[in-house]
Amino acid sequence: MKKKKSFGLFLTVLPLYFFTLCFVLGPLLYMIALSFASRGDGSSVVWNFTLDNYRKIGEPVYLQSFVQSFQLAFTSTGLIILLGYPFGYYMAKLSPKWKKRMMLLIMVPFWTSSLIRMYGWIIILQAKGVLNGILMKLGILEEPLKILYSYPAVVIGMIYALLPFMVLAVYSSAEKMDWSLLEAARDLGANGIQAFFTVTFKLTLPGLLTGIILTFIPSMGLFFIADILGGNKIVLVGSVIQDQLTRGSNWPFAAALAVVLMMLTSLMILVYRKVTHVKDLEGLF
Amino acid sequence: MKKRVLAILLCSIMAGSLLSGCGGEKEENNKELVLYTWEGLFPQEVLDNFEKEKGIRIISSNFDSNETMLEKVQQSDGKDYDVVIGDDYIIEQVVNNGLAKELDKSKLSNYGNINPLYQSQFYDPDNKYTIPHGAGIPLIVYDPEQVDFEITGYEDLWNSKLEDKIAIIASYRAVEGMVLLTMGKSMNEEDPTVIKEAGEKLVSLAPNIRMIQDTNTQNALLNGEASVAILYTSQVIAALQENPNLKVVYPKEGLGFGIMNFFIPKNAPDTEEAYEFLNYILEPKVAAKCFDFVGYYCTNKAADDLVNPDLVVPDSVTKGEIIQNVSTEAEEVYNQNWTEFKAACD
Repeated sequence: MKKKKSFGLFLTVLPLYFFTLCFVLGPLLYMIALSFASRGDGSSVVWNFTLDNYRKIGEPVYLQSFVQSFQLAFTSTGLIILLGYPFGYYMAKLSPKWKKRMMLLIMVPFWTSSLIRMYGWIIILQAKGVLNGILMKLGILEEPLKILYSYPAVVIGMIYALLPFMVLAVYSSAEKMDWSLLEAARDLGANGIQAFFTVTFKLTLPGLLTGIILTFIPSMGLFFIADILGGNKIVLVGSVIQDQLTRGSNWPFAAALAVVLMMLTSLMILVYRKVTHVKDLEGLF
Repeated sequence: MKKRVLAILLCSIMAGSLLSGCGGEKEENNKELVLYTWEGLFPQEVLDNFEKEKGIRIISSNFDSNETMLEKVQQSDGKDYDVVIGDDYIIEQVVNNGLAKELDKSKLSNYGNINPLYQSQFYDPDNKYTIPHGAGIPLIVYDPEQVDFEITGYEDLWNSKLEDKIAIIASYRAVEGMVLLTMGKSMNEEDPTVIKEAGEKLVSLAPNIRMIQDTNTQNALLNGEASVAILYTSQVIAALQENPNLKVVYPKEGLGFGIMNFFIPKNAPDTEEAYEFLNYILEPKVAAKCFDFVGYYCTNKAADDLVNPDLVVPDSVTKGEIIQNVSTEAEEVYNQNWTEFKAACD
């Protein structure tokens, strides 16, 4: 009987194992192998072992793209924390009815493709766009601001795309918090700020850290935002990889870049686990 | 029960109509022509008129990349199609592999209508195999209201008055080719040190670049984000349609061409019909309709007066260069130049 049960279980997970082997592990190994090959004519690949691709990453242009990616990820994540943490925290304090409504408002944008939403920002930010129109009507500006195709535009896009992940992560850990602990702290003489940092902040820390992981890692890869709102002028690792795969037709080099990027993000997760002592992304699930 | 009767009835009608289709085909004359082209290359009107006038039935099939076309023509050894179109660089491979039939110009009374500007290119230096049909030319377009000097060539883009004002397409070979032209070099330069120099010159253009994008680049010009743009042909036409006051520049340093060409595969089954079709397309009125429809530069001299004037290259243009594949080594330098340029634009 027991045997039969585990066989059934095996059958149910088999497709998943199969899927993972074929579409995750397989391509991953292929990519790692590819990163040690060299390019032939056109987009062909010559299978000889070489470290040239990794050496090439050391060239200033490509190294700069990693620096650029990290900088952008840090900037956006920092601003997302400032905006998302209070948002999630106060959302947890709302009445159940309003919680549901807020949740709905956060989820609604996801019904539209993120690519299309980014094009929406073009309409808002462009020289003859909505934002400049309002500011000039109100007499705040004389000349239109050149926001579109600049660094701030990319940061705005990043924040917009990733803010919900931070809000939801903070919200779910703030909601689970026992608010009576806060009252106890106040009763024992702590002022509002002290109570917040000794109780609330510490209890919502796992949610915050989950939020950071959920925003920082994707922001390393969301190069299409830099392409659309930054006018292709900010060179992120993602766009270099795309360029090498398409116009550059240098697949081995693209693979090497992807491997290095993957190692750096894995390192981030490792640091996260060391800092928080948790094995899973807690708080959200 | 009723449903079943209805179903049987419908089935029999369908089967009947299938048979009638077969019968009809046999009745008609068996003159036919198999076209293998890009989708949406011809206006339906042109195809319909050809069928009516010549009594030849057209069978159309499409490809979505030049490479697919080459592969299919190669696989069938040039037997399946009568008239095929392709872009310049792929035509070179078609001709080199002996897949194109040498044209019998005595059967093409309209052959003289072709604009010689687009002939004798690298893929067919003696014009033995190909008939050009439409050209794409990346050009400079600017808004004279926003720019207070006249732009005549690529060199003017480096003018410091244009700081943060230029939108460009993301075709790195086309853009770097333009830089090479300003240096008096070929767009297909192979010498890495020269390409590197061009890369440095390109980097010095960075402060003037507002955005780099391949799709709908003309919008930046139309919505006021940029005052100058380097655009593909289709974008130039789209921009002019919306704002006729924009100025188009045919840069004095030279132009980059992309030319589509017709050829007849070497073992084409219906050669006579193929000649009839090509001759028909070369008629000025028909050609004008075709170019108005696809929005590429008119390669038919006799059609210049009939087509949308924006699609006619002025007489001052005497030469254009086509971007060709270069060695892997040179390609690598072009590529790195482009990444360095983009990074410098930030």
